Amino acid sequence: MNAKELCGVANAKLDTFVTWTALDRSNLSDGRKLAVNYFIVAVILFFAQLLFGMIAATQFIFPSFLYGWLDFSVNRMVHINAMVVWMLYGFIGCTYWLLEDESQTEIVGLKFGKLAFWVLTIAVAVVVLVYLFIQIGAGNDTTLWLINEGREYIEAPRWADIGIVAVVLTFFYNVVATFSKGKWSGIAGVLTLDLVALAGLYLAGMFYMTNITHEQFWWWWVIHLWVEATWEVLVGVIMAWSLMKLLGVRRKIVTTWLYIEVALMFGSGILGLGHHYFWIGTPEYWLTIGGFFSALEPIPLVAMVVHAVYDSGSHAFKNGNHPALAWVIAHAFGNFFGAGVWGFMHTLPQINLYTHGTQWSASHGHLAFFGAYATINIAFFYLAIQHWRGDVWMSGNAQNAWRWKWALGLLNVGVVGMTIALLIAGYEQSFIERAVEGSTWSGYFSAQNHPSFQSAMVWRWFFGLMTFAGLILLIWDLLTIGKGETRKMAVVEAE
Amino acid sequence: MIQPVAMQDFFITFFSSALIILAGASYALLFAWSKVNANFRIKIAAYVSYIVLIVAVVLLTRAANFTGYWLSLSAVMVVGYFFAPIGIWHLCVKTHAENHHKTLEEKL
Repeated sequence: MNAKELCGVANAKLDTFVTWTALDRSNLSDGRKLAVNYFIVAVILFFAQLLFGMIAATQFIFPSFLYGWLDFSVNRMVHINAMVVWMLYGFIGCTYWLLEDESQTEIVGLKFGKLAFWVLTIAVAVVVLVYLFIQIGAGNDTTLWLINEGREYIEAPRWADIGIVAVVLTFFYNVVATFSKGKWSGIAGVLTLDLVALAGLYLAGMFYMTNITHEQFWWWWVIHLWVEATWEVLVGVIMAWSLMKLLGVRRKIVTTWLYIEVALMFGSGILGLGHHYFWIGTPEYWLTIGGFFSALEPIPLVAMVVHAVYDSGSHAFKNGNHPALAWVIAHAFGNFFGAGVWGFMHTLPQINLYTHGTQWSASHGHLAFFGAYATINIAFFYLAIQHWRGDVWMSGNAQNAWRWKWALGLLNVGVVGMTIALLIAGYEQSFIERAVEGSTWSGYFSAQNHPSFQSAMVWRWFFGLMTFAGLILLIWDLLTIGKGETRKMAVVEAE
Repeated sequence: MIQPVAMQDFFITFFSSALIILAGASYALLFAWSKVNANFRIKIAAYVSYIVLIVAVVLLTRAANFTGYWLSLSAVMVVGYFFAPIGIWHLCVKTHAENHHKTLEEKL
């Protein structure tokens, strides 16, 4: 079979698949078609994240598995990078989705937005292929620009960094120009200012300093200010708009709480970042700043609990999209436990001295990222698919509702199971490797070979598999939910 | 200056830290619920949660060797977790107070 015939077969298969999904793109505006493109790539990368995570988890148990073909360092890198990028795709898609509705006009410069989408997607594909095909080798200025920048979590080579900033600037232009042409709102203002930070803070990860402490100081700006601060605000914006659509909450209420969230972030979140400056050679006052402000970080979560009870008393959560609301509730719990409980358990410097960078961090990271970001993206996917199907019924007695319920259960139980397994491994690691053996090389191996660590890794693998099964079910559900449904969505009564 | 946690206090440090957040959230939840449902037992349960929070703060203060200005962190947690739900509840009431009869279109 030659290349032309192969393309023909692939096109025919794709057409069959599109016909099977029965999704009608004529239900979408041009802006929302672009948003859907972002969502599709986000789901593909979500799949890649879990696939490479499973391979890395397998290598924890069988270290020789795929050794020399697909090394652990590469799997872990792709696992984490895919997570960061799919969430970014999700957030950009959510923003394009709400932009026309919020501004009450068509997206300005949409063709640049479409171009940026393809530039970013091709760049991501090339970067991943380079990661996979050039796994080891010497590092120099050329490899920094073309292969791997060498910084944990933001390994993308410099050319891709520049591409990311260019794409975010194009995205920023789309957003600002659209609001300028249409209608500004509180949500629009917060979103615009946040996108300045989203593009700006990434620059901090694009230059090197010869002093390792200075280098780490700025690197954390990308890892934590970019991911924690700007993404949190972006989630706040997406949540604010979603709550208006999902529960009929009044604009004034969501806007006020969005401002409160931004104020709390400035009041506690940014300086709470100090807990990442504890052990990199920064001045000692960061121990105090990081410790104190980290202790204040759970306050927005307490606010969330109080507000949820208030809303349940006054509104009873009546809504027209049950899967989306279920994922919003999962977001509230996941964020509370992942970021709040799991974060505060090891954030004070008196204990963080032993836990920093162990599987404790991985435990916290798994639940916090899933709870704070993955859940809200999935909730939005359900909102989008409902509209894509023509605003069909997705409330009680929906067809095949078991799929979304099982996907929700498997994904959440899977992630919580992995979190607890990693917590056990991290506890053992911080105790034996750090406290007993004083962070020595032999201490590292003692901890890695300890039965409780190894058992924890087996349990992590099992729950990882459960998460993976949940994702497959979720994808199946997203492709089929509402198919053949003739009832129109339940009308949400506003407060 | 910090005094690291002693090895025998690892578990109590993790446990008490988690308990602070859980008891704080439990107090907030029950406090808010007692406002929605005027049942005296719910209010008592809220204050029991708050007492658990105080115990957890004391345990953490001892396990994490808080001395000097670090003790103010304990005080901030005890005072802050008590008043935060009350303040947030007032914010909820104020932000939801008006325009109850507008249509959905007007509100969006």
